[in-house]
Amino acid sequence: MPERERALQSLQSTPRDVGPTADELLALVARGDEAAFERLYDVMSGSVFGLIRRVVRDQAQSEEVFQEVMLEVWRTATRFDPERGKATTWILTLTHRRAVDRVRSAQAATHREDRAARLDPARPFDEVSEQVDGRLEQRQVRRCLSFLTDLQRESVLLAYYQGYSYPEVASLLGIPLGTVKTRMRDGLIRLRDCMGVTG
Amino acid sequence: MRTTSADLHTLTGAYAVNALSEIERTAFEAHLTRCQSCAIEVTELAATAARLGVAVEAPPPPQLRARVLAAAAETRQLSPHADRVPDPRRKRWAGALLAAACLVAAVFVTVQYTGSSDQDRQLAQLSSEYSRFSDFLSTPDARLVNGKAPNGATGTAVVSASRDEALFLAKDLPDPGDGRSYQLWTIGADKVPHSAGLLTSRTAPVFVSGLTGVQEVALTLEPAGGSTTPTLPAVMAMPLA
Repeated sequence: MPERERALQSLQSTPRDVGPTADELLALVARGDEAAFERLYDVMSGSVFGLIRRVVRDQAQSEEVFQEVMLEVWRTATRFDPERGKATTWILTLTHRRAVDRVRSAQAATHREDRAARLDPARPFDEVSEQVDGRLEQRQVRRCLSFLTDLQRESVLLAYYQGYSYPEVASLLGIPLGTVKTRMRDGLIRLRDCMGVTG
Repeated sequence: MRTTSADLHTLTGAYAVNALSEIERTAFEAHLTRCQSCAIEVTELAATAARLGVAVEAPPPPQLRARVLAAAAETRQLSPHADRVPDPRRKRWAGALLAAACLVAAVFVTVQYTGSSDQDRQLAQLSSEYSRFSDFLSTPDARLVNGKAPNGATGTAVVSASRDEALFLAKDLPDPGDGRSYQLWTIGADKVPHSAGLLTSRTAPVFVSGLTGVQEVALTLEPAGGSTTPTLPAVMAMPLA
């Protein structure tokens, strides 16, 4: 099993190594290279849209946020600092923030209350689990998530995939605010170590 | 001091998954500029969170590609040289948020260096005070109100209707002088002032509970121990509504 995991991990890094990386493309985009932006779109649009769709849910709103985010990537590429992290992280951090801004805005408040009321905390993990067929990256995420305690996993996934603030997560899980903060941090640290993320 | 840093440090996870309120996020970002180990951890945890994003990949509708590329072709890119990315949504808030973040930071510095030798007790108190601030600042409906006194002092109130509470902080207040202290008041529609407590120091925060009907907060200079009715003129008055 460990050998198989290693093989999977090495396989997984292969496809993205072919062709320019997101970091190289973003550096070109920062210089106004429209062709590079086109290629960056092809590399990143699936992750960006998938994350927005997961957080925002509504298809029409997701499409709106997606276009705003991609345009913001183009507009602010000049401010990306490669010393402070990878292009993928920069783009997905921006994406997540815009998606969460959208769901936290006043218009969405009432819908979200309904949603929170019938939310099953185990659901985000199940949804990831459902989607893992085939994709190696997803398989690794799923495997690493299984090493978290239930509270760590639920705290991280409710915040990340549902866009809840930590006080909302605390009330959903019925645990103190301080506990949520430490579970989020401990959970992410455990994921980081499992996935070998270096920043 | 270590306890306080450790408390702030535990926010790295919540920050990386964007689970902080806007006010708390701004305060934490101010802290990040001074805490290198926090900044490194945030970078790593943000990269980890991004992997969760990649794991739910889904292709956008194909017609959006041409639309986005066309929009980019007509959009001017930002100059690489400014420190901050101007965001119209944040602009209105940025100054006030930064002021609140600095005030909160200033409060902690003050508390840290005015304590006795009883460090354990002091650290425990700091820790619980920080939690109270942090809990309050994370209230989703927390909003900021600012006021300015003729003498140049400023007041900031973080107001939460859902918690029925406000946190008042002052900055640059002159020394009240021996035997005098600052007192905070709430004023409702009937214009009758109610004491909301004394400022234990010029930068000490005051929590105000019970905001129903409160239209204004005012700060006055009173004999030490406070008064039952305010001594006028007020140092500062801020409408809350």
